[in-house]
Amino acid sequence: MKSQQFDQNDESLSRVLREWRVETPLPPRFQEAVWRRIELNDNQSSNWTLLLSRLLGAIAKPSLAMSYLMVLLLAGILAGYWQAQIANTRAEEQLSARYVQVVDPYQTLHH
Amino acid sequence: MTRSVLILVGGLVLGVLAYAGMYRVGTNNSCCMVESKTPELAWLQQEFHLSDAEFKRVSQLHEQYLSGCAERCHQIDLKNEQLARLLEATNNVSPEIQRALAEAAQLRAQCQSMMLQHFYEVSRTMPADQGKRYLAWVRSKTLLHDAHAAMHH
Repeated sequence: MKSQQFDQNDESLSRVLREWRVETPLPPRFQEAVWRRIELNDNQSSNWTLLLSRLLGAIAKPSLAMSYLMVLLLAGILAGYWQAQIANTRAEEQLSARYVQVVDPYQTLHH
Repeated sequence: MTRSVLILVGGLVLGVLAYAGMYRVGTNNSCCMVESKTPELAWLQQEFHLSDAEFKRVSQLHEQYLSGCAERCHQIDLKNEQLARLLEATNNVSPEIQRALAEAAQLRAQCQSMMLQHFYEVSRTMPADQGKRYLAWVRSKTLLHDAHAAMHH
C-alpha cells in the first residue's frame, strides 16, 4: 500500500519536474563571470607555483642563501634564549617556594 | 632545484638546532639545581651567592633545624586534631577549647621563634649583605606572610 502511494507520488513529482520551466533570467554577463572565475582559479594556482619556483631560484644564490641561513640561526638562538629565561624563572620560583615550605611548618606541616 | 630545497630544509634544521642548543645551555644551571639532592638548598646557594664552605655550614644548620622540625610538626598535628574534636563536640567556647586554643597559639609561637632563630643563624653564615637580603626575603615569606594572610582572612 505504502509503496503504491510512493509510486504515485513519484509519478506526480516527475510530471511536475517535467513541466517546470525556469523563467527567472540569468544575471547579466553570467557566462563571462563564470569563465572569469575559472580563469582566476587557474591563475591563483599558477601564481603559487611561480612564487615557489622564483623562491627556489633566488635561494640558490649564495648571498641570499647565506642571509636565509643566518636569519634562521639567529631566530633559533633568540627563541632558545627566551624560552630558557622563562624556564629558569619558573624553576627559581618553584625552588624558593619549596624552601619556604620546608622551613615553615605552618605552610607545609609534613616534611 | 635540489640545491635550493637542500638550503631551505638545511636552514630550518639549523634554526631548530640553534634553538635546542641555546635552550640547553641556558637552562643548564637550573636543571642542575632541580636534579640535586636538596634542590631548595642548591637554589639558596645560587640565589645568595654562597661559597662551598658557607653552603656546607648552611646545609648542616638546615639539617639540624629539620630534625627538630619533624617533632614540632607532629605536635602541631596532634594539637589541630584535638582542637577539631573539641570544636565538633560543642557549639560553645568551652574552657577546654580556650585551653586548646591557647596551647595551639603557644605552640605556634614556639615554632615561629625556633624558625626565626634558624633564619638568624643561616643569615650569620652568609656574607653580611647577602645575610641581610636573605633575612628580609625569608621574613616576608614566612612570619610577615602569615601575619599578612591572617589580616586578610
